[in-house]
Amino acid sequence: MDNLIIAQSPSSPAIAADWNAGVISMRGDSYPENSFELFQPLIDWVEAYLAKAGRPLHLELELVYLNTSSIRSMMDIFDQMEVAHKKGQTVSARWSYDAANERVGQLAEEFCEDCTFPFSIDVKS
Amino acid sequence: MDLELASRIEGLLNDPAASCTDMRSALADLYERCRTQQQMLDRLTQISDKYQQAERERGLSYAEQLQRKVRQVEKIVRISDGYQSMLQDLNARLTAISTHDELTGLPNRRYMQERLNQAIAHTTRNGEAFSIALVDIDFFKRINDSAGHAIGDVVLTRVAACMRDSMRDYDICARWGGEEFLILFACCDKQNAAQLAERVRLGVAAIATADLHPGLQLTASIGFTEFLPGEKAIDAALKRADDALYRAKDAGRNCVVGSP
Repeated sequence: MDNLIIAQSPSSPAIAADWNAGVISMRGDSYPENSFELFQPLIDWVEAYLAKAGRPLHLELELVYLNTSSIRSMMDIFDQMEVAHKKGQTVSARWSYDAANERVGQLAEEFCEDCTFPFSIDVKS
Repeated sequence: MDLELASRIEGLLNDPAASCTDMRSALADLYERCRTQQQMLDRLTQISDKYQQAERERGLSYAEQLQRKVRQVEKIVRISDGYQSMLQDLNARLTAISTHDELTGLPNRRYMQERLNQAIAHTTRNGEAFSIALVDIDFFKRINDSAGHAIGDVVLTRVAACMRDSMRDYDICARWGGEEFLILFACCDKQNAAQLAERVRLGVAAIATADLHPGLQLTASIGFTEFLPGEKAIDAALKRADDALYRAKDAGRNCVVGSP
């Protein structure tokens, strides 16, 4: 499977999914006109990776603003990871945020509430 | 029960002389038939029970799935509300930044321009007078040169705080330029403006500066004017206030001068 690279735009985050490293990074704001179009390839990638790669998956997030449909897509990805975690696969996530914008950290906490896999929320150094 | 067996049994029952052997054979067939039927009935009941159980479980799992979906939607709504209020806060912060001077916290020139336009509209409608005053810190360049820009900044913030304290609640003071402030005295004619401006001048002269720089003297010169009925824009009034300010400077500073 290939790596997935989606360039950043004013309304969508930079997304990079590295098959060999098992790391997905997402940075920026997300309020695309069609969030299904943006996130479906990523959701498919995660599904394929978790089914075939047989290696840990780590999610590295520096997301700032998310619109409602982006929130939904992120929750879908966390759900995929949660299912994998319950099956014994190693998955983890880290959400970093700017100290000047503490609200982002609080919202990340809300996301991670139902996740039982390792999920850390850190102030960006 | 098949017809053949039924007619055989009926025949035997109607025949008083039917032999015991024939009767036994018919009874055995009937019993066999009955047992087969019973087995089928048991099996049907079992299948029916299984279907019933499966349907019940399916219903429960639908209810469970639905509950999960409801919880998910609630969570999405909660997080989305959070992002929305984050944007509102950001918007409020940006508005404050775009309308206020960072150093002194006073309204900036752009914001003041809007307030002046509102005051003009109000005066045009109600005929209520308003006045403006330009306040300029005396020898500010000298303060900056001798005490340094950091002290100059402290002076500006102290003057700004003093103006805020010495004005009425409904007056407004903006940082108009480097060391120049513009005050809008609402519902105020020229006579009142003279008193209010004098109060500001006295306030500035009383600001403590001993901790800032040895021998630092802090005073301000003020020129003021009343907005005249029939004027359409603030420009002419600003010019009059500016001219009055020049005269205050010429008169030796630390004084208040009104336009003629």
